[in-house]
Amino acid sequence: MGLEEFKDDMSACCRCSACKYVPLETLKGYDHVDICPSISRFGYRAYSGGGRLGIGMALLNKEMDYSSPGLLEIIYNCQMCGGCDISCKYAMDMEVLDPMNEIRAECIKRNNSHPVLDKIITSLKNGGPMVLEANAKQGEWASELGTKDYTKQSVQVIYHAGCRTRHDKARWPIAQQTIKLMQKANIDVGIAMDEPCCGGRAYQMGYQTEAIEKAKRNMEIFNKSSAKTLVTGCAECYFAFKVLYDKFGIKGDFEILHTSEFFARLIQQGKLKPGKKVNMTVTYHDPCHLGRQGEPYIHWKGHRVPGQLIVFDPPKEFRRGMNGVYEPPRNLLQSIPGLKMVEMDRHKEFAWCCGAGGGVSETNPEYALWTATKRIEEAASTKTEAIVTGCPGCENLFEAAIRKNESRLKVYDIVEILARAIL
Amino acid sequence: MTLSKNQYTAFEDIVGPEYISNNPAILYSYSWRSGLYAPPQDFSPLFEAIILPNTNEEIQAIVKLCNKFKIQFKASSTGWGPYNDATAPGCIKLDLRRMNRIIEINVKNMYAVVEPGVIGTQLQAECMKLGLNCNQNGAGTNCSASPIIGHCGFGHLSQSGSYGERNQLALEWITPEGDMVRLGSLGSIGAWFCGDGPGPSLRGAIRGNVVPMGGLGVFTKAATKLYHWPGPMSVELKGVSPKYVPTSIAKDFLIRIYSFPSMDMMDLAQQKIGEAEIAYELMGFNKGMAASNIATNNEEMLELHAEFSKLLTDYCLMVIIGGYSPRDFEYKTKVLNQIATDTQGKSLTKISDDTEVAAGCLWRWLRATGSIREVFRATGCFAGEVGGTDVFRLMADYIVETAKVKQKMIDDKLIFNDGAPPFTQAIEHGHYGHGELLIRYIPNPANWAGMMDFMAKANEIAIKQHFGVPGHVFSDAQHDIYGPHVMNYHKWLRKLKKSFDPNGASEGSHHITVKE
Repeated sequence: MGLEEFKDDMSACCRCSACKYVPLETLKGYDHVDICPSISRFGYRAYSGGGRLGIGMALLNKEMDYSSPGLLEIIYNCQMCGGCDISCKYAMDMEVLDPMNEIRAECIKRNNSHPVLDKIITSLKNGGPMVLEANAKQGEWASELGTKDYTKQSVQVIYHAGCRTRHDKARWPIAQQTIKLMQKANIDVGIAMDEPCCGGRAYQMGYQTEAIEKAKRNMEIFNKSSAKTLVTGCAECYFAFKVLYDKFGIKGDFEILHTSEFFARLIQQGKLKPGKKVNMTVTYHDPCHLGRQGEPYIHWKGHRVPGQLIVFDPPKEFRRGMNGVYEPPRNLLQSIPGLKMVEMDRHKEFAWCCGAGGGVSETNPEYALWTATKRIEEAASTKTEAIVTGCPGCENLFEAAIRKNESRLKVYDIVEILARAIL
Repeated sequence: MTLSKNQYTAFEDIVGPEYISNNPAILYSYSWRSGLYAPPQDFSPLFEAIILPNTNEEIQAIVKLCNKFKIQFKASSTGWGPYNDATAPGCIKLDLRRMNRIIEINVKNMYAVVEPGVIGTQLQAECMKLGLNCNQNGAGTNCSASPIIGHCGFGHLSQSGSYGERNQLALEWITPEGDMVRLGSLGSIGAWFCGDGPGPSLRGAIRGNVVPMGGLGVFTKAATKLYHWPGPMSVELKGVSPKYVPTSIAKDFLIRIYSFPSMDMMDLAQQKIGEAEIAYELMGFNKGMAASNIATNNEEMLELHAEFSKLLTDYCLMVIIGGYSPRDFEYKTKVLNQIATDTQGKSLTKISDDTEVAAGCLWRWLRATGSIREVFRATGCFAGEVGGTDVFRLMADYIVETAKVKQKMIDDKLIFNDGAPPFTQAIEHGHYGHGELLIRYIPNPANWAGMMDFMAKANEIAIKQHFGVPGHVFSDAQHDIYGPHVMNYHKWLRKLKKSFDPNGASEGSHHITVKE
């Protein structure tokens, strides 16, 4: 891959502004029309999906170069949430997020990188986590759970907690409750006491080589285990294992599920029964990497047919966000007695991003928090008591936004809600 | 030309450092060419700086500085078309996206007041909550809701919701010299209800043929007429993008695409439908547009186009009926069926028999979200003949004539072969109409040369066969072609430009300039 491969896609941008807005069929009022946090915050066209494609064309045409002053400011003030991609593809047959990823990768190739992200990648290369503020050690969260180690013992299911959970004591209860729920359902689950990082965030940040290397090493570890299923509660890990690794051609002989999918299935099979009432009104936030970006990767190799029409040989099926993980978390929540669920205006494939993606949490925390605040305000407008989601990145940022804004809203991982109804 | 440090600082002092930029990456993002009339060149000339003003006072101060510094400015809302671009160095861009407030929705007097950054969807969604609707620009609901921005504003809703020139009421205008002028009733009694008085009316002088395309100051607020809405306060959808199906609207509406044996029969049908005042939407809709709009990708579009080609003639109308009561709906449906029978209109079964397709089309065309699929997905670029506004049949005939030239381009493989039928819009239930010819192409030198040759021939047809001044006529070159045949209007337009803009500060390449 490279930016050049997406020249035709970028050329197809007609500058219509669809990338700035939710798919406009869905809008029910003046508010919540925006889907792109970046242009919403910074205002200039350069910060929109289409604007970024224009920049990509300028770079390809050598109208400007990768060391151009101010370029990184634009490139890295984007969560890579993919909202622009989905809104564009409501109408168009072209890629938006892929070339944006390639622009970042080209920057890294030219050593034009962001120093904060370099620090994170150095940690990854040294076998460390991709979080800057780790407050816990590997495996410590599971020390009292008596869980098998899948790198040493035979298991049916791997549970992968993810960097943002295992290295943050505030998130430990989610991982611990996940294990307890699995144990309750008699699932033969194992973890790795020395759990590897998925590497997915490296890809989002533009460090493609590092992400691929990590994927290869991880897949070797996973393939050595006897597990038939890998479950994670982190949307970014899920995206990495399910979508990115597949994109890289690195695939194992096991199923990859998010905790919401796994537990929704157990509930449907009658292996878990949420019996306790949880009297609460909640709204569900679709994490970008579980929702619109969580749909399976679609392999395609071919070429655009010459002529006056954008068609491909063989026909190309675009990832438009149609097959993201939308229903399992909702089914799970709706199975809980007493719990009432309300939708935010922007949901499923056109959900507003939490603000954490693309390295923004680290490179521009103020902007990340601004984005989360917008989401908290949207949630509050539904008169909900809590915002439930399925990604520790979203949860961290929502909690910070709530603290800063002195909101009374609560934040829960979907597992925490299920645990209340069962454990 | 590059802004001097002092000049940049002077602008920065007005809006603050966050809202002005000359970062090259930002400048290039504004100069990436539009897909509308896309030339072979990827980039237009760079602006000297981009400014994001938020108030009238800021705009006035910026415009006055431009006059002082002899710098040109160009303002835009969503900035879609090529007329938003710089044509030479020495120009700054005012991106009005921060001016995005709905000032008022006046239910009793049925008008709304908007700033340029409000898009059509936002206003429509708010109006629907109140039992009202606004016209949508045919290019799409992603365009500004202001009736004096975004070309003429013909669209799917023009049958019941008219178009920009007729919808524009009072107006707030920052002139090219930086004065603020309030036109229509706003200028005398501070109310928005009328564009022509009591108070000064400059509607014709300001709008010209097709609105000034950024070339005559900045329109900061405008009132637009609203219309009754027979549907629900909001529309529930099922499904995921791009395949939404509305679940709460179909019972109130009926949608049909009729194919007629001849232009005469189609013309008769649109006249009768107009006279009966039964249609919420009425639009000439050809098989290529229908296929593009229903399909969610180009491959599917080709399949549908082949299917529709067997079923539809080149003379088709899309009709939407909405009932304000069950009896109203029943009456309108009966009348429509009778007209279809009388004019030998054959209904496209894909619409009449497939409820999900019908409901999807219904909502897409009421909201006008399908236009990007129709005109841009095929190639990323759209040009073509934007006809004028006059008697429906005259406009339709003009497009039929130019379609013959389009066929030559298809034969030469310069453009996408979607057949060459016209599309037309009937306005306000009357005999008034507008026609266009959709041309989709990949921008390269050969195709562009073909496009220019086509436009020259379309102009020749319009002039020699007396079809009037089409909607694509803007810029010095075009006005100079048509003016001598139309009472030398171009000279008057140029005098108006010179009177309002003696320093030529408002970049007028897509309107008219003060050249002699």
